[in-house]
Amino acid sequence: MIMEKLKVLHVDIGGCEGCNVSIIRAYPKLMDLIELDISYLRKEEYKLDEYDVAIITGGACMNEPRILEELKEIREKAHTVVAFGSCATFSGILRFCRGGQEPRPDHRNFQPINSVIKVDYSIPGCPPTPQMLQSFFKFYINGDERRLRLFKVSADIKKLSGFDLIDDIVLTGLCIGCGACELSCPTNAIKLIDKRPNLVQEKCIRCGTCYIRCPRASQILSMGGAK
Amino acid sequence: MMSVTDNLLGNVFGIYLVRATDEEILKRKVASGGAVTALLVYALEKGLIDGVVTAKRTEGLEGQAVVARTREELLETAGNKWSIVPFASRMKAKIEEEDLKNVAVVCLPCQAQFFGQMRDFPLLESDFGERVKYIVSLFCIGTFAFEAFLNYLRMKHGIMAQDIKDIVLKGDFLEIYHGDSVLSLPIKEVYSYLQAGCLVCTDYTGTWSDISAGFVESERGWTVLITRNLKAEELVKSAEKDGYIELRDGSHVMGEVLKAAREKLARAQKNMMYLL
Repeated sequence: MIMEKLKVLHVDIGGCEGCNVSIIRAYPKLMDLIELDISYLRKEEYKLDEYDVAIITGGACMNEPRILEELKEIREKAHTVVAFGSCATFSGILRFCRGGQEPRPDHRNFQPINSVIKVDYSIPGCPPTPQMLQSFFKFYINGDERRLRLFKVSADIKKLSGFDLIDDIVLTGLCIGCGACELSCPTNAIKLIDKRPNLVQEKCIRCGTCYIRCPRASQILSMGGAK
Repeated sequence: MMSVTDNLLGNVFGIYLVRATDEEILKRKVASGGAVTALLVYALEKGLIDGVVTAKRTEGLEGQAVVARTREELLETAGNKWSIVPFASRMKAKIEEEDLKNVAVVCLPCQAQFFGQMRDFPLLESDFGERVKYIVSLFCIGTFAFEAFLNYLRMKHGIMAQDIKDIVLKGDFLEIYHGDSVLSLPIKEVYSYLQAGCLVCTDYTGTWSDISAGFVESERGWTVLITRNLKAEELVKSAEKDGYIELRDGSHVMGEVLKAAREKLARAQKNMMYLL
C-alpha cells in the first residue's frame, strides 16, 4: 500500500537554530513518510495552502505583531500544530529576555506559542534529537495516542522547568529518588544530593526536559492532573 | 495472542505462568518462580544481551545498581529489593564504563517508565535508549521510605536493619525474615512507611516495560509474566523451547493482576486528593 505522504510545514519564529538543525537531521529518515516544506528549501512563501502538520520552532516575541499574525495564519493552514523544542513549548531560555540585550535588544518578552494559538502537541528539549521527531511521526502516523499522550497534555502547559520539578515533585514529598531528572538535564543543573534532586538555579534554562522525564511528574501529567 | 489493551495494565500481548527449570535458581530466595532470572540467564547465554543492570541489596534495605554479565552474577542479585536506588543516573555510568551495547534492565514500574520514555522519545543526544534491549518491570506496590520503616521496625518490634534477611509479601501480610524468626505485618499498617511518591503511583505492573513480572496468590511458586510486544514474546517462547523455563497459559490469573492494579489505582486516587 502506498500511503500519501504527510504534508509538513516547518516555520521557525526565532531561536538558536538548534531545533532547525535537528529537523534537518531527522529528514533523511522521514522522506518516505513526509513531504517537508522547510524554510531552508523554499523562497519566502509557503509552498502549499494546507498542511497536515505544522512544526513550529522558536518562541513568540510578544512585541512582534508580524510573528503573532504568522502563527495565526499557520494555525489556519495546518490540521495539527506541533511545538518543537523548549522555546516553542515552554519558552525555555527565551524567558530570560528582558530587552536591551544583544544581539537583539528589541526583544523583551517571549511566550510559548500556545499563548498565541492552540497547539496540539508540545515536544520540549533543547534541542530535541532528530530521533525524537522520527519517533513522533512514527506514533502520529500509527495513531498511537497512548504513546503521544504526554506531548498532547504538554500542549496546554505554558511553563515547565527545574523549578516546577522542585516545587511539584520534590517539595511535595513525591520524589522517589530515581535520578531520572539528573540524567535528563542538558545543562547539569540538577544533582542528586541525599537521594533528592538539587537545582542549581542559575544553570536551569527552563527547557522542561527533567519534568517530562520524571516518572512521577509525567505519570501525573498523563493522567490528566492539572499543572 | 491476546492483544488486550487496557489502560490499567497497558498493552498485553500475552500472559503466562512461568517457572525456571534450573534448580539452583529455584533454590535461591527468588520472589516466585524465578522466571525473570531464568529468562535473563537465557538471554545472556544466547548472546541476545551483553549485560543485565539491576539492583542488589547491600545492607538493611539499601541497594545499589550492579551489572551482571554471567549466570552466577545474576543469581547474586535475585530476590526482592523493597527500596530504590538512584538507578537511572548510575545506569548510564555503568553502561558506559562497561561498554555494554545490549542490556536488559530489571526495574520497578517508575524506572521502566523512565527507560521506556527515553527509548521511545529520545529527547537528548546523551540518551542511551538504543542500548536498552529489554525492560523488565516487576509488579510493585511501592518502595519504603526506609529510614522511617527501619525506625518503626526497631522501635516497635526491636528488629535491627542488619538482621533483616528478606521481606516477602504474602496475601495481605508482609513477612519480615530477621535472625531466626519471622514477623508478619498487615500490609495496611506499613503503607504509612512507603514513599509518598509511591502512594500516588498508579502503575502496578510497569506499563512501559517489554515484560512485566510478578506473582499472584493463587499460583504461588510461579511467576506471572506479561509480554507487551513481539520482541518480548519471542524471548519467552524461545527460552521455553530451549528448556530454560516451564510455561503455561496465564489467562485465568488476569483477574487477580487486574484486582491488584485497581487497588493501587484506587489508593493513588485517594492519596492524590490530599497530597496534590
